[in-house]
Amino acid sequence: MQVWTKLFAKSPFKPLIKHSEVVLNTVETLEKALQAWERGDYEEMKRLAVEVDRLEDVADKIKEEIRDSLSSKLMMAVAREDVLIYLHMQDKVADAAEDTAKWLLVKKPGTIPAEIKDIIIRMGAESIKAAKLVHKAIVQMDRVIESGFSENEIKAEYEIIHKIEGVESKIDGLDTELMQKVFEMADKLSWGDGFYILNIARTLSNISDKAKDAAERIRLMMNK
Amino acid sequence: MDPWLLITIVLGFAMAWAIGANDAANSMSTAVGAKAITPKQAVIIAGILEFTGAYFFGKSVTETIRKGILDPTMITDPNVLIYGSAAALLAATIWLVIATKFGLPVSTTHSIIGGIVGYGIVYAGTAIVNWGKMGQVVLSWILSPIIGALMAFLIFKAMTRSIFETKDPVRNARIWSPFWIGLAFVVIGTMFYIKVLHGGDLKAGVMMYGLPAGVVTFIVTYLLIKLRFRSADPLINVESIFKKAQLVTSSYVALAHGSNDVANAIGPVAAVYAVATMGLSGMQVPVPRWILAMGGLGITIGVATYGYKVMETVGKKITELTNTRGFTIQFSAATVVLVSSWLGLPISTTHVVVGAVIGVGLARGVKAINKDIVRDIIISWFVTVPVAALISAAIFKILMLVG
Repeated sequence: MQVWTKLFAKSPFKPLIKHSEVVLNTVETLEKALQAWERGDYEEMKRLAVEVDRLEDVADKIKEEIRDSLSSKLMMAVAREDVLIYLHMQDKVADAAEDTAKWLLVKKPGTIPAEIKDIIIRMGAESIKAAKLVHKAIVQMDRVIESGFSENEIKAEYEIIHKIEGVESKIDGLDTELMQKVFEMADKLSWGDGFYILNIARTLSNISDKAKDAAERIRLMMNK
Repeated sequence: MDPWLLITIVLGFAMAWAIGANDAANSMSTAVGAKAITPKQAVIIAGILEFTGAYFFGKSVTETIRKGILDPTMITDPNVLIYGSAAALLAATIWLVIATKFGLPVSTTHSIIGGIVGYGIVYAGTAIVNWGKMGQVVLSWILSPIIGALMAFLIFKAMTRSIFETKDPVRNARIWSPFWIGLAFVVIGTMFYIKVLHGGDLKAGVMMYGLPAGVVTFIVTYLLIKLRFRSADPLINVESIFKKAQLVTSSYVALAHGSNDVANAIGPVAAVYAVATMGLSGMQVPVPRWILAMGGLGITIGVATYGYKVMETVGKKITELTNTRGFTIQFSAATVVLVSSWLGLPISTTHVVVGAVIGVGLARGVKAINKDIVRDIIISWFVTVPVAALISAAIFKILMLVG
């Protein structure tokens, strides 16, 4: 009676967790690249930035596979649209990390003031937190379903979502601080340097923005 | 021995084999899917219990025409009963094999009813069919899955509410797990009386079998949990408690299945046996033990040869079913079957189980269910009786011409 194997369709949650692992890996590699950048180790930074690009490709492939398997023929514990949009956002986290890596690659550093470097490193550290929390959130979502949507597990999930929102607003603050710094130091910086720094900041804060959007979708999954 | 009796015995054996291949896997697959037992263990347990159920607890008196679907007074020629029984058995077997091949869980009872209706209509026209009974059968296609789904939905909600959705899941798991398992055993004990021992009085069943079984199970489970329950992760620990309970519930399902569904294979055989040994007989005839043994053996071989393959794939592929869900499905299916037997509603276990799976899905307990398969299953239920009837009608016509 093969019916039992066909009746239960493959749940998207295990692949979603796998995807988030790759996303986390991408952001972690980016953080290492940023640290190499800060040290002025351009060769190591380049190697890591290329690795970020490769990992983002891996995430893309998993994303495509999940999309293909999530047909509208499934009856799921969560809305299909929420899963698809969540996946999109989770993937955007890796995309943003790749964008930062690209900006790192276009220009040799060296003339960037230490104060600015310091803010960027802090933003990188917060991005890692956001990516880690997204991973935690999707693992917890799996538990929410396992427990039959129990109040306790839902509460734990909300706590993770709040933390993600906290990280996002912290990065926003750092972003503003950086912008102000860039204009304060406008005299010391070249036009190119300013453009370079602001774009790195923009893409870094994108990581947590997308992480927050992903968290928002998880919130919706729980309120089907 | 009468050659027709021999032929019917062979056909009855084939039908029993098909029942084992198609149905027995159903009783165990939720347990296998939830990894409560391995496929190998499932086959051994199901094989032994199906045979035990069929041989020791199969009805010693069976209806010649299942469920009184035909008017027996209209069959005057003994040959009709012989050819008809052979045609019905062959048709039901063919349909079951086809359905099994396509992985559709159809009702073996409905298959044999279809076979009987088919030859009945060819012989005496539509007037011979008891359409009131037939209406009940059709009603059961619709009611069984709906009630099954509703029951599973409610039980799943109640179980998660009482254990996981509380402030202290560990403490609640200690009390509520034995309660739910105990309650399941009240149902199982009562069903043992009604379905396996073929008792008639529900109250007696509850008092003599249900409640004692439930109370004993509650105490045993409570003590076991008190001794062994580790509180680190209530989710995992609750699963491990229900894992053991599932082993017993699915064993019971196999036993009850053997004792009940063996009649689908041996009923027609018994009819031919009655004609061959005593001339035409009435609606109900005694069944010799060796025919019951033959039915039991057929089911067991069906489990071992075909059911085995199925359970193996199930064990490898279903990872979406946890023990609490598997338990919920079996518990609700058993409850629905019990209550409907008591109310005299015709209900198909297979249909109830599929309904229960969907019910747990609706309660957001199963991560993903394939809607297309659900549609295929429902279609297969609606075509079972007509298809089996058509095949049986054709075979019967040929037999009447050459016979």
